[in-house]
Amino acid sequence: MVLVVLRRVGVFAATVIVASIVTFLMLSILPGNAARIALGVHATEADVAAQATAMGLDRPAIVRYLAWFGHVLVGDFGTSTVSRQPIGPDIADALGITVILVLTSVVLALVFAIPFGILTAVRQRKPDGAILSGISQIGVAVPGFLAGMLLVTVFAVTLRWLPAGGWVDPAEDFGGFLEHLILPAIALGSVQGAVLSRYVRASVLEVMRDDFIRTARAKGLGAGRALFRHGLRNAAVPVMTVLGLQIATLLVGAVVIERVFSIPGLGSLLLDKVALRDLPAVQGIVLVLVVFVLLLNFLVDLAFTVIDPRLRSAA
Amino acid sequence: MTAPTLRVRDLRVASPFTELLHGISFDIAPGERVGLIGESGSGKSLTATSVMGLLPQTLTATGSVLVSGIDTNLLAAPERRLNKVRGNTMAMVFQEPMTALNPLMRVGAQVAEIMTIHRTEPGRRQARERAIDLLEQVKLPSPAQVALAFPHQLSGGQRQRVLLAMAMANNPQLLLCDEPTTALDVTVQAEVLKLIKNLVIDRGSSLLLITHDIAVIAEVCQRVLVLHQGTIVEDGPVGRVLTAPQHPYTQKLIAASNLAAVDHRGRLHTLALPAPVPSSPVPSSVVPSRVETDAAAPPILPPYRAAHQSLDLGGLPTIFNEVAGVPVISVRGLSRQYRRRGGGLFSPVPIVHGLREVSFDVAEGQRFGIVGESGSGKSTLLRMLCALDQPSSGTVDVLGQPIAGAAERHLRDFRSQVQIVFQDPMGSLDPRMKVRDIVAEPLHHVDRTEALARVEAQLAAVGLDADAMDRHPHQFSGGQRQRISIARALITRPRVLVADEAVSALDVLVRAQVLNLLADLVDEYRLTLVFVSHDLGVIRHLCDTVAVVSGGRIVECGPTGDVYDHPLHPYTRQLVSATPSIHELTGA
Repeated sequence: MVLVVLRRVGVFAATVIVASIVTFLMLSILPGNAARIALGVHATEADVAAQATAMGLDRPAIVRYLAWFGHVLVGDFGTSTVSRQPIGPDIADALGITVILVLTSVVLALVFAIPFGILTAVRQRKPDGAILSGISQIGVAVPGFLAGMLLVTVFAVTLRWLPAGGWVDPAEDFGGFLEHLILPAIALGSVQGAVLSRYVRASVLEVMRDDFIRTARAKGLGAGRALFRHGLRNAAVPVMTVLGLQIATLLVGAVVIERVFSIPGLGSLLLDKVALRDLPAVQGIVLVLVVFVLLLNFLVDLAFTVIDPRLRSAA
Repeated sequence: MTAPTLRVRDLRVASPFTELLHGISFDIAPGERVGLIGESGSGKSLTATSVMGLLPQTLTATGSVLVSGIDTNLLAAPERRLNKVRGNTMAMVFQEPMTALNPLMRVGAQVAEIMTIHRTEPGRRQARERAIDLLEQVKLPSPAQVALAFPHQLSGGQRQRVLLAMAMANNPQLLLCDEPTTALDVTVQAEVLKLIKNLVIDRGSSLLLITHDIAVIAEVCQRVLVLHQGTIVEDGPVGRVLTAPQHPYTQKLIAASNLAAVDHRGRLHTLALPAPVPSSPVPSSVVPSRVETDAAAPPILPPYRAAHQSLDLGGLPTIFNEVAGVPVISVRGLSRQYRRRGGGLFSPVPIVHGLREVSFDVAEGQRFGIVGESGSGKSTLLRMLCALDQPSSGTVDVLGQPIAGAAERHLRDFRSQVQIVFQDPMGSLDPRMKVRDIVAEPLHHVDRTEALARVEAQLAAVGLDADAMDRHPHQFSGGQRQRISIARALITRPRVLVADEAVSALDVLVRAQVLNLLADLVDEYRLTLVFVSHDLGVIRHLCDTVAVVSGGRIVECGPTGDVYDHPLHPYTRQLVSATPSIHELTGA
């Protein structure tokens, strides 16, 4: 068990290193010179060259990569070429907001998808099950930004119950923080929830046909208790695979939703920095996003090991 | 006379389209062990699941099922009431030990659960302790450790013992077992059957044992019910039914099961039955096998009589069945190792020996049987013989051509000379291809008209009508599909036919027909046959020579009769004695 976890940690670390190399390479082969961008279009060639030396751009790529990644490891993302401020604190602030938004929407998606999926599976042959199942199908088809705009129109513009956008730090005003969180989290989570509920339904239906459920019924458990005691944990395994895969989609969704609701998260920061061509900042943000996805997938993998004993020894 | 433990009256089970069980009635007395036998689709499992109230939702049962001590008809009882009866008054063990346990729960907890559900133990802790007792009673080694194991850490036989421990936990009046040993190896099957018998005798429980294997019933039961197309056609003491069956169906079933009884041509008894599926457009699978062989032709004797040898690990490597002239198959020092995935982070990768230093010959025209249990290496050996896998060391020569390590493009001729029939008649045919394309596929460089003519002739040779050509595999029964596989294998006029458990998935009557067909074809086409099976009876019937495989080695080889009647190796002796047999009762 410990060995399996250690091995997974090793794989995670290796993946992070590979991801950092890919990120670094992608941004260094982009056309455009970071030094010229920093100085603006009117700078002379000599100034640009001097700036390049000052920024260390004349060193070999491997040296630049090692210097950059070495600093990143201790939390130093370098200095913005536009604002001349350190990038790290900006990323940290934005990351906190995005993490809260994404995790809340994951929780909302699960809170919706698990009972809804189970219900539609158990009542598969009944008319209500078929209707609910149809509703979730519609949910799958609605894109997140559209859900976001609809929510704003109804709850912010028409009913005026909730703010249409912006962000409040939870440490300052927790009530305000929740008010600002609800709509974007629902917008982001609803689509995932609908998709996930389809998988929960399929997975529960599959498990209900399994032989060990029949064994449980033969022991004297009613159909419902057999499903709850023996079925759900087994049904969770394939659902978690999908959840892991969806997390990347969710972050991409967050970039859009943050725009719709004017939330200063990583997505907004990334779009701002791309517009300013602030390459060191873009490079840092992309890396943080990638590591965030990897980390969540790593946690899902670990959860698998906890749920499924077959994975503990078989690794 | 005391009231019966189980009283079933006019039990009918129907799907929305048709009736599947046509009003069956029977009693089981307290402590009585009753066997229920029939072919697949006869309604055996439906009977047991109706009694347990676990029918699929799409089926409905009518009639009455009464269990002693419970005053309501279980078929009409509410679910709550049934939950109190299941696992308590009556319990059930299912066929598939690999999937019948929850893979995420420790087996001890799964056994304990049945006691906490019915509150037969005062608390969780007591239930867990009792679970360990029960695991000991089903003869699992170190039961306290087994209780903490997850199902995947146990073998099939061990899992079936766990399920038995679970079923017997609350001392049920009635134990239902649905093919409890069908998925197990012969030696394990013998132990589990003995265990079931002893457990029900110890507790005075009644037993309803469902199986397709008459020999299993002969070992365990006192009385037998014969089910045929949803009707009980015979009911009587095991000894009487097996020795003097009254109903024609039972007579056929027993005749076809008895692989030792053959007619003057050495063929099994397969009398034609009324077609079972009149609605199906496909000709029934029970068409008597084509018998056109000239009865006056001399029987083809094996040209080579094998020496009877057993493995001697101390001495020189034994070459079994060594043929003096040019053998059709010659295997020398064949080994195959597998690296198991994983192992420790720093410990070496564990190596699994699939085959170790196997050497043998097969002579032209020999019918060479390879028998062994799961994991013995028989499938690995078969894959090597067919050049489907490469050996780690050693040589395989077939028809004079070395095939171990040969490139696929050099094997074209070999592929047409050596053909295979696989076990699974459902999975080994492409469901999207028409039968004529399946059978014609091995023919290269043959024009379409001629190919179709040959397909038609070949299908006729295996007893299928020409109109089978335009159908898809799912429109055929298991036996018919196996005929298609055989036609596909023979169309290239091979010299060697390799069969991998080719009749293991078939019902007894169909099995007899396919075995007769194989025997006819082997004679007619003068094939060399290599027949791999776990079933000693089938091998004895069909093969003149047998090699017993265990632990990746041939432990014994010789003429079939000699090996079975005078086994030399202890493993062979164990295997032969573990095989259930009806001979004790029939006195044959």
